[in-house]
Amino acid sequence: MQSNILHIQHLFLRAGFGLTPPELEKVKDVPVKKLAENLFDTSVSYSGLNHLSNPIKGKEDEVSNFRILKMILKSRKQMEELNSAWLDKMARAKAVLREKMTFFWHNHFSTSTPFAWLMQEQNNTLRSNALGTFRELLHAVSKDPAMILYLNNQQNKKAAPNENFAREVMELFTLGEGNEYTEKDIKEAARAFTGWTVNRRGEFEIEGNHHDWEQKEIFGKKGNFNGNDVIDLLLEKKQTARYVVGKIYREFVNENIHKSRVEELALQFYDSGYDISRLMKSIFTSDWFYEDENIGCRIISPVEMLVRYKKWFDVSFEQEKQQLALQKVLGQVLFFPPNVAGWKGGQAWIDSASLMLRLNIPRVILKGAELDVNAKPDFEDVPDKEAKRKGMVIKSNWKPLLAFLKKKKDGKLSDQLLEHCIQCPGYRINKKIIEDVAVEGNEDENITTTLAAVMSLPEFQLI
Amino acid sequence: MSKSGFSRRDFIRQSALASASLMVPRFLQAFPGVISTENPRGKILVMIQLAGGNDGLNSLVPWENDLYYKSRPDIALKKDKLICANAELAFNNSLRGLADLFENGSVSIINNVGYPDPNRSHFRSMDIWQSASNPSQYLNTGWVGRALDAQSESRDVKPFAAIEIDDSLTLALKGEKIKGLAFNNPKTLMPAYSNPVIRKVANDFSTHTEVHEHQQVEYLHRTLVDTRLSTEYLMEKSKVYKSAQLYPQHAFGKKMKIIAELINSGCSTMVYYVSLPGFDTHVLQKITQNNLLQVYADTLKAFCGELKSADRFRDVCVLTFSEFGRRVAQNKGNGTDHGTANNVYIVSGAIKKPGILNAAPDLSDLDEGDLKYRVDFRSVYSTLLNNWLGVDVSKVISGGKFEDLGFV
Repeated sequence: MQSNILHIQHLFLRAGFGLTPPELEKVKDVPVKKLAENLFDTSVSYSGLNHLSNPIKGKEDEVSNFRILKMILKSRKQMEELNSAWLDKMARAKAVLREKMTFFWHNHFSTSTPFAWLMQEQNNTLRSNALGTFRELLHAVSKDPAMILYLNNQQNKKAAPNENFAREVMELFTLGEGNEYTEKDIKEAARAFTGWTVNRRGEFEIEGNHHDWEQKEIFGKKGNFNGNDVIDLLLEKKQTARYVVGKIYREFVNENIHKSRVEELALQFYDSGYDISRLMKSIFTSDWFYEDENIGCRIISPVEMLVRYKKWFDVSFEQEKQQLALQKVLGQVLFFPPNVAGWKGGQAWIDSASLMLRLNIPRVILKGAELDVNAKPDFEDVPDKEAKRKGMVIKSNWKPLLAFLKKKKDGKLSDQLLEHCIQCPGYRINKKIIEDVAVEGNEDENITTTLAAVMSLPEFQLI
Repeated sequence: MSKSGFSRRDFIRQSALASASLMVPRFLQAFPGVISTENPRGKILVMIQLAGGNDGLNSLVPWENDLYYKSRPDIALKKDKLICANAELAFNNSLRGLADLFENGSVSIINNVGYPDPNRSHFRSMDIWQSASNPSQYLNTGWVGRALDAQSESRDVKPFAAIEIDDSLTLALKGEKIKGLAFNNPKTLMPAYSNPVIRKVANDFSTHTEVHEHQQVEYLHRTLVDTRLSTEYLMEKSKVYKSAQLYPQHAFGKKMKIIAELINSGCSTMVYYVSLPGFDTHVLQKITQNNLLQVYADTLKAFCGELKSADRFRDVCVLTFSEFGRRVAQNKGNGTDHGTANNVYIVSGAIKKPGILNAAPDLSDLDEGDLKYRVDFRSVYSTLLNNWLGVDVSKVISGGKFEDLGFV
């Protein structure tokens, strides 16, 4: 039986973004399954991401091309702000599970558009449905303006159907590639989504004259189906529950699927009417979730990693765009997934360059040193002739943590920190490497140096 | 699974294979000479990505075609300022360096390269080019990465087998098992050496002889040790040859100089990757594009000269590509918008088919204002894999058999 601390940290790293030592101290004697139940209560009330205001609001007139162009031009800076605002929210929100689920759905319903306002709207749609039912979530996303623009459904018209949305809704959002649908189903479903578009005010709209009102045949059923009907047909299939639960299991439990367990969860999920909270509760309150093989087996994603540092050290950057640049170099920029399939995650995060960067970040944070990495320029950029390299300075605040650790001495410092930071104990970590960095006679420096050393271990990348 | 019962460690202990190679400390195993990390054919591919979408029609100009001048009243290049390539096409004057190499029979040019259902998003189109996927397919690995994966079945492939001169690694060089090495400068290769904890962890792990039973721990540590070995190897190699050529004062020039030094030093890297950004010329295209093409061509000329001086030019093939070309008609801002098919340049001392390999773009047969593709980009890769690098194409690119273009 592993310690309760390990299990609590496991729960919070998966269902949220981990706990800092002071947070852990407060709950360390509470049974972990009680804490799991509590996570759902603390996610009931929440606030949305309200950084940007609606650029169209109060303007009743026709939105001109010029206005739309202006919005696109402003969007880049706004996306940087939105990105930072969400990261901060992940680090500070009380509704941690809701934020984590929103992050999961952001990857599942991978979207990127040049309209920051629409991305914020989508983010709030994902958040409000994050722990509701997958049925309502899927219906909402199918009418989400950012999603419609991203998958070109505004071009999907009776006269010339565009199959993009119809294909991805089956391939990536519900059934999974190649499962229980044919090319003909995609073609017919595309007809059902014709006319689903976004008006110039950035709102969902159905253009009746571009909708194909004729009969379609989907999954062997005939009817005058529209988009809502297609979504209901998809939800009728148990495969949708299997696919979504499989993805959730890989993300929240273990990338190696436990077949019978996933099948059982999928049937429950289906029978519950796609109740996401119930599914997540079954996972976090199960015994198997806390089995050794499911702990410390995930490579932390760049966003989770940055949020973790924000929580521990109140990390911030001189400029928002540096935060974005760091995400880019690490391979994951919030609101900018690589394509509609989202981030692959797992070992795909790690190559030589990204691993060295990950391992060095704690020391950079500790020393307040300049991080000498530059992101690839954006495609739209025309870089300077002599592209100047600019390092980034990561600002941090260690004081609260130091004060806590000085007060709360629990045996050997290195052991205590390893317990708080490392989710795969018992493996062959050479403790001597950590003990060797100890600084005699300066308690502050001793703690920070030891902690930076623990966080430089490759095992710290595993959650 | 591995924590109880029959673990991976037990399996390896019992395996007959274990006795020989696995009992050599893993630190030594990875050294060249113990198990070969050599590039099997000794052939090198250098990939240059012109990022942003280079306008192929103003790079290689259809100078006898009235439609070209009609579509581009303000940005068409004047005939007397062009360098003749053949009866149909002429080089932009800024591409003098490339034109000289062309004159010497070291260049193959392929027109109208693209893929079906062209995507006009920079990201998605570059994704398709780098992963060599079908346009409707999403792959998480790159074609060079998969080539390394395929080679790792028969040799010890280390990250330095594919190098990108940049701080982060591009999708093209990421395989499932093997991922390339990205660094900006060999001198400051990896900060690992200044971080004692990381160095010690890498040392410590190198001394273990068995595979770690925790799959992810093993993966992270193996990557760390491979990175360290690659770093040491390259730091050693980069001291051997110092460049004697003058490169343009530009980040791209510096990067290509690093590559030339590594090649001439006898480094066993198989693929190098470098990007020259800034080609998204929606407004006032002429100045921007000409400056960039000048940097590109002057650098290329210096680079090839450097290789020739060490008699390595015949072992090197340079592929230049962009995520898409641009629309035939100019826009109102004296620029061009995102288009489709484009030309691709192959430069090598071992070119088998010098010249322009196919017909110039047909400006009278457009798809809603865009060029139609005639050559699938994957046939370029397929030719390079099969004829140059010696990698089984079927293990790298799916979706059918692609034409052998025979340029190498």
